[in-house]
Amino acid sequence: MIDRIFAGTLLLITLAYGFIAFTLIKAPFQYDPIGPEGWPQILAIVAVICLIMLMIRPDVDSLDTSRPTWIKLACASAMLFAYAELYEPLGFIIATALFATLMARLLGAAWGRSAAFGITIGVAGYLVCAGLMGLNLPAGPLPKI
Amino acid sequence: MQEVFASLGTGFGVALAPFNIMLVLIGCFAGTLIGALPGIGPINGVAILLPIAYGLGLPPESALILLAGIYYGAEYGGRISSILLNVPGDAGAVMTTLDGNPMAKRGEAGRALSLSAIASFVGGTFAVILMSMFGPALARFAVTFSPSDYVALMVFAFASLASLVGKNPWKTLMGALIGLMLATMGIDGNTGVPRFTFGVPDLLAGIDFLIVVIGLFGMAELFHLVEQQVTGKLQTLPVDSSFVRMADLARTKWTILRASIIGFFIGILPGTGASVASAVAYGAEKRAAGADTSEFGKGDVRGLAAPEAANNAAASGAMVPMLTLGIPGSGTTAILLGALMLFNVQPGPLLFTQHPEIAWGLIASMYVGNVALLIINLPLVGLFARMLTIPQHYLTPLIAILAFIGVYSIVGNPFDLFLIILLGMFGWLLRKMEFPLAPVILGFVLGGLFEDNLRRALSISAGDWGILVESWKSLALYGLAVLAVVLPATLSYLNKRRARDRAPT
Repeated sequence: MIDRIFAGTLLLITLAYGFIAFTLIKAPFQYDPIGPEGWPQILAIVAVICLIMLMIRPDVDSLDTSRPTWIKLACASAMLFAYAELYEPLGFIIATALFATLMARLLGAAWGRSAAFGITIGVAGYLVCAGLMGLNLPAGPLPKI
Repeated sequence: MQEVFASLGTGFGVALAPFNIMLVLIGCFAGTLIGALPGIGPINGVAILLPIAYGLGLPPESALILLAGIYYGAEYGGRISSILLNVPGDAGAVMTTLDGNPMAKRGEAGRALSLSAIASFVGGTFAVILMSMFGPALARFAVTFSPSDYVALMVFAFASLASLVGKNPWKTLMGALIGLMLATMGIDGNTGVPRFTFGVPDLLAGIDFLIVVIGLFGMAELFHLVEQQVTGKLQTLPVDSSFVRMADLARTKWTILRASIIGFFIGILPGTGASVASAVAYGAEKRAAGADTSEFGKGDVRGLAAPEAANNAAASGAMVPMLTLGIPGSGTTAILLGALMLFNVQPGPLLFTQHPEIAWGLIASMYVGNVALLIINLPLVGLFARMLTIPQHYLTPLIAILAFIGVYSIVGNPFDLFLIILLGMFGWLLRKMEFPLAPVILGFVLGGLFEDNLRRALSISAGDWGILVESWKSLALYGLAVLAVVLPATLSYLNKRRARDRAPT
């Protein structure tokens, strides 16, 4: 069932894609026989056929993911978004230390060990990547190397 | 032949520069480590480390040498977790568990590891030798390909992909189409018309290759690891002091040779990589053993040597179409091909003549790398084995941290950090739906080339589609494409029928 829903969603996206390819994309004058719209049109048609086949014969019934796992995945996603959000304002060291600590804790490490891991990886990661390899990483409020 | 040696000389000039030797060693070491860690395979390793390698500002040949080292190093390292944990480090190492793990359980872990290291070395080196001999010839032939022949070649590549990768060919095809459709976003190079940009200026240049790769193969892997997460330490078997014996090598020398040949040629086929090669080699070896198969699956040295030689030969074999035709033979080589494009190097048959330092430097570095891997792997295997005991809850956050460092240091824009997380979720969902991910990246990398050649061919013929089936080369490739689809389907049908006939009714 979930398979059909997924294929159906993809089908809607493909139809929108095909609609754009068939109506909106046009070159001011034709440079080559199929122009900029021909290739997306071909792709849209093949994709529609493909998705219809997938809807006729689905083979995955359910995602088979338990409730606690969903919660864990949601937490992990939230942490990743927070990490991305705080990357520049807090700087690499603090943001990474926080993220690594919480993520390790979420995945089952003890608080103490998680914090030690997080702080080590934040500081060492910055020293190696920004200091040694000269990569551009946000320093945040801390002094830049 | 003379020419090959002269070019190899140039290549070794590049590969033996002290800086590049250092990169080979770093790549091989990091690769072995990545391969050994359960769950993270070559494709994830190369994807996660690609932006960092790019951000370092290395010259293209050095960056490619480093990334390729990570790639075949990871194929090497995959066997360690197969043997000691009974958990394959990547898909190519699945067959290695069958006989490798029973040997380790018998207290012969050292013997299994050293024998498989030698088998891997022979497979890898054999494939590089074949590559240096046949590669340039194939490239010379491919120079004569017209745009319409290239269209046929792509059709063949996607056809063999659809029939050989994944369980459901429609899903593989759909995966490739998703990649192809993503590649159409941005300004059309021929006419300057924006396509699917929705007026967003960031999308005018299309979606960045790095973002797609790191999203689908880095972040998606992270979600997968979170989902599959096992608490507590995995139990590794100890590495003992047993070592490969001369008798083992004498017993497996033909096995290794056969498996290397099988691996190399399967690796060349577009879309098929180490996992298919090792499975075929294992099956072939079992048949070749005749009546004497009772030990297979219980720790037979031949059953260990065959898949290991084959998967390393296939890893190098997959580089052949990438270097000579510009068509990658596997998901990982598609990423390497994309890496070349990032450096503004156009891959294809002209690579050997236009950028000999890249093509030959890479090939020469693979000779060096295989020797380095053998040397690294024999004495240091204990060290890698200890790495296996690092709990997953420290490794998983590390993937995100490395991905963020890579993306941020190149793009310097936090918006892209959100993009990779979203792509990661999408990749995870695709994987849950049993869509293989390698075709997506193959489609994304080849999309532009496919469209360009089709349009060029039709421009030549002024819009007559007949040009696509005019030359014998195109026709031969379409024939192969049909064969690639029909043959596996027929074989599985026959197998099923035979199994049914045998079953009592």
